[in-house]
Amino acid sequence: MGNVKIQGLAAGAVLTLGVLAASQHAAAEGSLALLTWEGYSDDLVVAPFTEKTGCVVEPTYVSSNDEIIAKTLASGSATIDLVSPSNDATMTLIDAGAVEPIDKSKLPHLADYFPVFQSPSWLVKDNDLYGVPYGYGFLRLVLDSNVIPDAPASVSVLWDERLKGKLAMWDNLETLYVAARYIGVKDVYNMTDEELQKTRDALIALKPNIRKFWTSDAEFQQLYMQKEVVGGNTTELAVSGLWAQSADSLKEVLPQEGSGGWSDSWMIVKGASENPCVYAWLDWISSPESQALASKLTGYAFANAKSFDMLEPEALALLTKLGTGDPEVQKSISWWQPVPRRGAYLEIWNQVKAETAQ
Amino acid sequence: MTVQADILTENAPDMRRIERRRALFWLLPPILWFVGFMLVPYAITLFYSFGRMDYVQFVAGFSLDNYVKVLTVQPYAGLILRSAKIGLLTAFWSTLLAYPVAIAMAFYLSSECAKHILYILVILPWWASYLVKAYAWKTILGTHGLLNEGLIWLGVIDEPLTVFLYNDFSIILTLTYIFTPFAVLSIYAQLERLPLSLIEAARDLGATGWETFIKVIWPISIPGVLAGGVITFSLGFGDFIAPALLGGADSIMISSVVISLLGVANDRPLAAAIGVAIILMAMALLTVSQYLEKRTQVRL
Repeated sequence: MGNVKIQGLAAGAVLTLGVLAASQHAAAEGSLALLTWEGYSDDLVVAPFTEKTGCVVEPTYVSSNDEIIAKTLASGSATIDLVSPSNDATMTLIDAGAVEPIDKSKLPHLADYFPVFQSPSWLVKDNDLYGVPYGYGFLRLVLDSNVIPDAPASVSVLWDERLKGKLAMWDNLETLYVAARYIGVKDVYNMTDEELQKTRDALIALKPNIRKFWTSDAEFQQLYMQKEVVGGNTTELAVSGLWAQSADSLKEVLPQEGSGGWSDSWMIVKGASENPCVYAWLDWISSPESQALASKLTGYAFANAKSFDMLEPEALALLTKLGTGDPEVQKSISWWQPVPRRGAYLEIWNQVKAETAQ
Repeated sequence: MTVQADILTENAPDMRRIERRRALFWLLPPILWFVGFMLVPYAITLFYSFGRMDYVQFVAGFSLDNYVKVLTVQPYAGLILRSAKIGLLTAFWSTLLAYPVAIAMAFYLSSECAKHILYILVILPWWASYLVKAYAWKTILGTHGLLNEGLIWLGVIDEPLTVFLYNDFSIILTLTYIFTPFAVLSIYAQLERLPLSLIEAARDLGATGWETFIKVIWPISIPGVLAGGVITFSLGFGDFIAPALLGGADSIMISSVVISLLGVANDRPLAAAIGVAIILMAMALLTVSQYLEKRTQVRL
């Protein structure tokens, strides 16, 4: 008898504790499965969310947009609630019917977003918005001003003979877009065969200047710091990292032809909006507070304009120097789009890489 | 007698059954392994290679288009040849470096202790990861790397040279460095079987050191050279890390193309077709080398 009583007491205590714990959280208790980049579900951003809502975040990290597309199409909302692909992949998921439209009325912070992120073309289909923009950035063209003191505001500077064997270019289709913009292609994401061939020729002409195709921010920084190269096309993080390492002569070239821009968005996997944690997460990550935290963590800029006001002075100064938060610059950016003929683009890209530099 | 005979005849089938069971016990794991990790994946690859992609979805079918593309459209066939060239050069230099080491281990180190030390020195680099070793070469060959700094210090050059890194030279050097132990071990394994009495007999009959090598040691070592060559060639051929880390603007290899086809273009069928083409090449290479090994194998 005594034993039963003790057991009963223990059970009662556990129950009470459980209820107490539950009552501390808002209504949206549960778990949330994210398919995302590693930096996007760091504790710094996730912990306040879990504290506020009780939703436990279970992230799965991916290394490419294709992985997001493949996994979303394969498993759907059974195992994933939210995904965070980039703008060259979002429309693929929308067209495949794998994601749900966003109910904007549930997300008041969207009103504070920069104009370019209010209803970006890569997220809108039939007047429905299919994603909440998050981190973004522009691709940068940088050169050592000691080598090229008179750099024109044009990508044509890359073809300058003084840069022979001194450039590091990104091993990515973005570099193909750079060459396409150089030869004056209007829509670089929908090139004709003829335009692709001309782009190929321009890239082959550029090859003698290319010492290395880089694959990570860190690699670009190393190549520059170890004086293997004097510039190339790269990311904001690589540039700010180099400036932080006092690479003062490294100057940005602002090409009149435009630069590529990437923008990640949170999208709801079809059927997942029944999970109350989904909109709780979208509300949190669209808030300026959370985006300022994410910016501190990743170094990227985020889509809510008010998040810039909450940045630390240094971070704000850097993003201002880079022009990332300038709505006028944002409008001039050639935002990545899905490329319907990606296979053909890649083939040209691989041909260029296989070509022996003269 | 009759009783014993009875027992024997009664027991014989049992014994056979036990034998069969025992054989199955030993054969089952390799068969499962072979089916699960070789046949099934190869069959899947073959299946994909005949299909096509419709936007992001794979469509099964039976079309040779992907194979036609591999053979006729650049850069695929050209890059398979280029990778084969890198593989061959890796195999050549690895064998050239490995042969004297294997000879020394087999014949010139009489003390077991010295043999062990050399053996450990050969395989010691395997304890470090491939990536670490590749990065190490970057710091040696770079514009401000050890090699350039050393040459400047010695007064051989005034300005650092950029020809050491980010080209095919740095790739082949790194691959050779990383894969040479494979060649050492396979050549040594073959030379170790060579009885010293054969060499002594050759010398007793008046052969010079060079003649002994050409007529006795070299013919017997050929199967080991072939085996090491096939291993180092295959590893060099399929590599994609060294080109990515140490290669230059035109140092692309076929494995990198397969990765980009899967990662960038999501073109699984074409990637599979390249895979099948490489598997066929590997099978042809193994058949030829096995034939040569058999022809050159000497019964000792």
